[in-house]
Amino acid sequence: MREAEVVSPHAGLVKALLGAWAALVYLFLFSPIVLLVLFSFNANKYGTFPFTGWTTHWYGEVFGNYQIKDALTTSLKVAAEVTLISTVVGTAAAFPLVRSRLPFRSGITIGMTLPIMIPGLLIGVSLLILMTSFFHVQLSVQTAVIGQAVYTTPFVLLLVAARLQGFDTSLERAASDLGANTFNRLRYVVLPLIMPAVFAGALFAFTLSLDEFIITLFLIGAQNTLPIYIYTQVKFGITPEVNALASLLLAASLILIAFAFLLPAVLRRGRNAVRAGRA
Amino acid sequence: MIGPAGASDVPAPPPAEGQAVARERAVGGRLAGIGQYAGFIPAIVLYGVFFIAPLALIVAYSFWQTVDYNVVRDWTLDNYRYFFSVSTYLRTFWATIWVSVAATAITILIAFPFTYWLVRYVPRKIQGLLLVLVILPFWTSYLLRVYSWLNILGERGAINRLLQWVHITDTPVSLFLYDRPAVILVLVYLYFPFAALTLYASLERFDWDLFKAAMDLGAPPRTAIVRILLPQMRTGITTAVIFVFIPILGEYLAPQLVGGARGVMIGNLIVNFFTGAQYTRGAAAALLIAALIVGLLLVFRRSLQVEDPYRA
Repeated sequence: MREAEVVSPHAGLVKALLGAWAALVYLFLFSPIVLLVLFSFNANKYGTFPFTGWTTHWYGEVFGNYQIKDALTTSLKVAAEVTLISTVVGTAAAFPLVRSRLPFRSGITIGMTLPIMIPGLLIGVSLLILMTSFFHVQLSVQTAVIGQAVYTTPFVLLLVAARLQGFDTSLERAASDLGANTFNRLRYVVLPLIMPAVFAGALFAFTLSLDEFIITLFLIGAQNTLPIYIYTQVKFGITPEVNALASLLLAASLILIAFAFLLPAVLRRGRNAVRAGRA
Repeated sequence: MIGPAGASDVPAPPPAEGQAVARERAVGGRLAGIGQYAGFIPAIVLYGVFFIAPLALIVAYSFWQTVDYNVVRDWTLDNYRYFFSVSTYLRTFWATIWVSVAATAITILIAFPFTYWLVRYVPRKIQGLLLVLVILPFWTSYLLRVYSWLNILGERGAINRLLQWVHITDTPVSLFLYDRPAVILVLVYLYFPFAALTLYASLERFDWDLFKAAMDLGAPPRTAIVRILLPQMRTGITTAVIFVFIPILGEYLAPQLVGGARGVMIGNLIVNFFTGAQYTRGAAAALLIAALIVGLLLVFRRSLQVEDPYRA
């Protein structure tokens, strides 16, 4: 690999150019987000350049706004229900997906990821038709929950399935040799081992639900979630208040996702520590 | 969860296979009996009723008609005929295709040198971290990622303000918003992580000894890339194209927020149909997106071998 570079007469130049390219990519990826956060602290009431001074005034506005409070309550309620549904459905389906005698296993797995693959717009409008014209139900928080759960469940399913796939089955055999019945084997061996993946899946589902926009737009009816509220505000142009709200939502997503990624490792370490303490 | 419970209902093993083998099957490995599929039940209900049924319904709707706000179940191609008879819609249809192609091509062209740099020149330990930084924006709100560009583009956006501030121009340049280039820019921004991740997975598996061998035999680096590296990455590149192209086809928000009237895509037409209660025409427009997706998958089906989904 290294020798190959020596052969090329412009190796150093190529490396420098590619490095510069990568730097530009990161600039491209992060400047919109950084500017968004920066402007949320900008005293300028147009929420843009020039920078006229630091303030947390806009955050105060966000916390004092009752519409935002309503939207936040709705968002959290929806996210909680979506997380519950997708965690149960996804975890339950992961077992037969990995362990049953299944024809076309890879085909079924790909089919199950379809809700992630196809544009959310299609999920949204097709459910809108089903709900209003076929079931004749009023659009509400519940219809939005269902639509979001269709989209988030595959994430849980894939995470838990991956964990089950790498599962040391001799542990279960050992439990069974020691006389554990099916329930005990599940309760004391399988669940503790897959729990990190289930928790991570739940956190992913929660975050995705909190951020989901297009499916919700079609299905929520008269209510607002935070993204829908931001959307209605953006139509009238950018304001520093929306920048502040956006920054908060951004921070919430990043914290939740960091947890989802770190949780399995933390849980493992915690358990090892407990075990070491006992020994 | 009910799945493994079925394990206890394993039928008695044939005598030829020993007890240990039978238990191995029953406990850790494959399950048996009808009970093994029980875990699918909630998923089948959720996806049968709220995913497959609505998709079937939208197909039917696209062939039905709306008369006085009522849906009449007469099978007809009128919705499609109507769509292609209105010149604005037809133009939007073609524009959607070229915007999607352009955005996908630009995304891949930006992502390829980037991932190449990541795999070849960055120490393995840091690669993971740098990759996480790329996917990080993906885990933030999609709406906010589009919205953040409004701060930058536009007459009152950062670019214009900056230009005015440093007195390069006195009147705001409206070049940066409400047209297709702005839409393409934002689409590239939105879907870059997909492309980078897929290309990385493919490049990372590449056997660089082949590359070295080609160069030892006298191939200049460019030839080695074109003749050795790219052919081996075909599946990876195809996957990246599909992952980027499909969501872009159904894009609504980016053209809505930064595209304005001149940046309209099919997604916006669909939303307009549905908010105007023209469900059957909207369904037909939505089916056109689905048709484009299926067409894309057919075009690329040869280079897409389905591998074990848990690898990679």
